[in-house]
Amino acid sequence: MRLIQIPKDKYDEYRLTLLFDCYKWDPQFLDHNTVARYALVLSREEHDELRQLTLELDKETRAAEEFLNRHQELTKSLALPRSVKCQMKRMGNYVPEQHVRLMRYDFHPTVEGKWAVSEVNSDVPGGFAEGSFMPRAALELIGETGLWYQDFGKTLADAITGKLPSGGRIMLVHCTSYSDDRQVMQFLGDRLEERGFRVIYGAADHVRFREGRAFSILDGNEGELDGIFRFTPLEWLTDIKPKRWQGYFNTTTMSCNHPVAMFAQTKRFPLVWDKLEQQGISMGMWRKLLPETVEVKTVKKLQGKKSDTKEKEFLYKPACGRVGENISIREACAEGEYEKIMRDVKRHPKKYLAQKRFHSKPLNGNEGEQFHVCLGSYTVDGQHAGYYARISESPRIDSNAADIPVLIEGEVAK
Amino acid sequence: MTGKELYRIWAPPGAKWVEWVRPVPFVESESCSKFYYVPEMKLWAGNIAMNVCNQVDNSDAVRNMAPGTDTVLIVDLPGAESVKKGIELAGKGYRPIPIFNGTIEQKGARATTDNQSVVEALRQGAERLKTLEIQKEAPPAFLLDSNRLNRFKMDVSLFDNSWDVYPQDLPSADYCKAQGVRSVVVIGKRFSKDLKKILYAYQKKGLEIFLTNGFAEPKRIRIRRPLRKEKE
Repeated sequence: MRLIQIPKDKYDEYRLTLLFDCYKWDPQFLDHNTVARYALVLSREEHDELRQLTLELDKETRAAEEFLNRHQELTKSLALPRSVKCQMKRMGNYVPEQHVRLMRYDFHPTVEGKWAVSEVNSDVPGGFAEGSFMPRAALELIGETGLWYQDFGKTLADAITGKLPSGGRIMLVHCTSYSDDRQVMQFLGDRLEERGFRVIYGAADHVRFREGRAFSILDGNEGELDGIFRFTPLEWLTDIKPKRWQGYFNTTTMSCNHPVAMFAQTKRFPLVWDKLEQQGISMGMWRKLLPETVEVKTVKKLQGKKSDTKEKEFLYKPACGRVGENISIREACAEGEYEKIMRDVKRHPKKYLAQKRFHSKPLNGNEGEQFHVCLGSYTVDGQHAGYYARISESPRIDSNAADIPVLIEGEVAK
Repeated sequence: MTGKELYRIWAPPGAKWVEWVRPVPFVESESCSKFYYVPEMKLWAGNIAMNVCNQVDNSDAVRNMAPGTDTVLIVDLPGAESVKKGIELAGKGYRPIPIFNGTIEQKGARATTDNQSVVEALRQGAERLKTLEIQKEAPPAFLLDSNRLNRFKMDVSLFDNSWDVYPQDLPSADYCKAQGVRSVVVIGKRFSKDLKKILYAYQKKGLEIFLTNGFAEPKRIRIRRPLRKEKE
C-alpha cells in the first residue's frame, strides 16, 4: 500500500472537480481540508487479500443477522435501543433476496504487518461518490499507468435496479436538512435516473405503509414506491414523532438497507458471538480481524486494583457511534473530550463497549508527513463492490480525516 | 455562468478564508426549478448600484468597521439580503464567504425554506463581486441566511430543507486567534439558536462577541452558557 501525490499544480483543479463533478460538497471540516492531496494505491495482492477477507466477513455477518432475526431472544447483550428492539420483532417476514444488502467493513493496516477491522458500517454506510468518481478524477491527473479502480456506484446501482421493475419509483430516504446526506443521495439518484428510474428525494416521515407496501406522501410526489433506499440511521428513525415508521421493519417493498442491518451495526455485535458459535454460526474471520471486544465492566475486572495498564490497552467506543466520533483514543481527542467520554462511559456503560487497541501503521507522504489509513471495503448482496478510504495524521479516523481515492495496481479484474 | 464559474468568483484561488465557502448553492445553481426575481440585486450591475450601495454604507454602522485583521464578521440576515450585505462589505474590503448549506427541494414539492433565492442572489452578486478588487488577506464576512431555521411544516408532506450552521462550518477559535482575530461581530437581528452555540465556544476561547442590526453601533454581548437541551 502506498501513497501517490496528486500533482501539486493540478490539486486546485482536482478539488474543484470533486466539488462540482464528484458530489464532494463538504470539502472543509472546521480547519481541516477533507480532500487528501494523495491517492492510495493497493498492490494487486493486497486487493485480492482484502477482497477475500471482506467476502468472508460478509458471509459471517449475513448468516449471523439472519440467525439473530429468527432468534431474537439471543440479542439481549446487544443492548439495542428499546425503541428499535420493540419493532425488530416485526421482521419475521424478512426475505434477504427481496432486498439489497449493502455493508462496508473498515480495515486498518497494523504495525504487525496485518489487517485489523474496526467495525462494519452495516446500516447506512456512506462515501458512495468517493468510492466511484473520486478515483476516476484522480486517475486522470496521475501520470502513472497500470492503475484501475472499482466503480462502487455502478455495482450498487446494478443491484438496486435489478430488484426494481423497469422505470420503477424509489425514494431516497435521508435527513433532508443535511447537505452532507443529500450529496450521497444525489450521487445515487443521478445514477438511477440515468437508467430510467424515477427518483424521489424525501425524509423518513414521507413514507407511509399499507399492507406492507411503501407509499410516498411527499407533496407533489404521492403514490406507491417500488423501492426505499434508507440513509437515515435506524436509531434516528425511531426517534421521529409521530410514530409512523413501524412499517420500515416489515415492509415487502425492496429496501436497502432493511432494518435487519441493526444487529451488526451496533458495535456490541461481538458480544453475541459466543452464543452464535454455540449455535453453529462461525465467526472465525471476525474473531481473527476484530480486536478483542468486551463489556466495559470486564475491563475494570481485568484491571483489578493494580495499575491502569489494562485500561490503556483498551479503548471505549459508543455502541451506536458513527464516523469515529467519541472513541476514547486519548492522544486523538480534543481538549476535554477524553474526560467527557470517560464520564459518559461511567454513567452509561451499556451504551459503550471496550475494545483492545491496535496500533495502526502509518503511511509516509512525500513531505515527511505520516498518515493513518481507514480503508472501507464494500459489499453489495454478498459481492465485493469497491473501496472508500480516509487518511488522518491522527490514529483516530473521524470527521477531521481526509477522503482519499483508492486505486489498484495491475490489470482490471473481471 | 456555470456553478463552477460562480464558485470561482466567490472563492478565488489563493485568497484567505475561501476554504470555508460552501459549494452547495453553487453546485445546485444549475438545477434550480423556479425563477426568482431579486429586484435589489439587479441594481448592482451598473453605476446606479454604486450610488445606492454608497448611500446605504453612509448610514450604516458597518462604516466604522474599517477592515482590520482582528475582526471577523458574520452576516445573519434573510437570504438575498445577506448576500447584498456581503457585497457591500466587499466594497469596504472584506471578503464575503458564503456558507449557505441548504439544499433544493424535490421537484414538485413545496419546501419549508427558500434556498433557491439565495442561489439567484449569489449569481447576481457575482456580477458585482467580480468587478471589485479585494485584498487576498482581507478579513472575512461569513454570510448566513437567517431564514435557514424556518422548519415549520404546516403539513407533514412538505420537504424540510431548513438547515443549521454547525461549528465545523466555520474556522475554530484557535485558528481565528492565530490569524490575529480578537472579535466577532454578528450583523443580524439576534443570535440564532445554532449560531449562539458557536459564538459561546468562541467566547470561551477569549474572542469578544458583538451584535449589530447593521445600523446601530455594535454592542458587546456576553453569551450565557447554552442549556444542555439547547446544546443537543
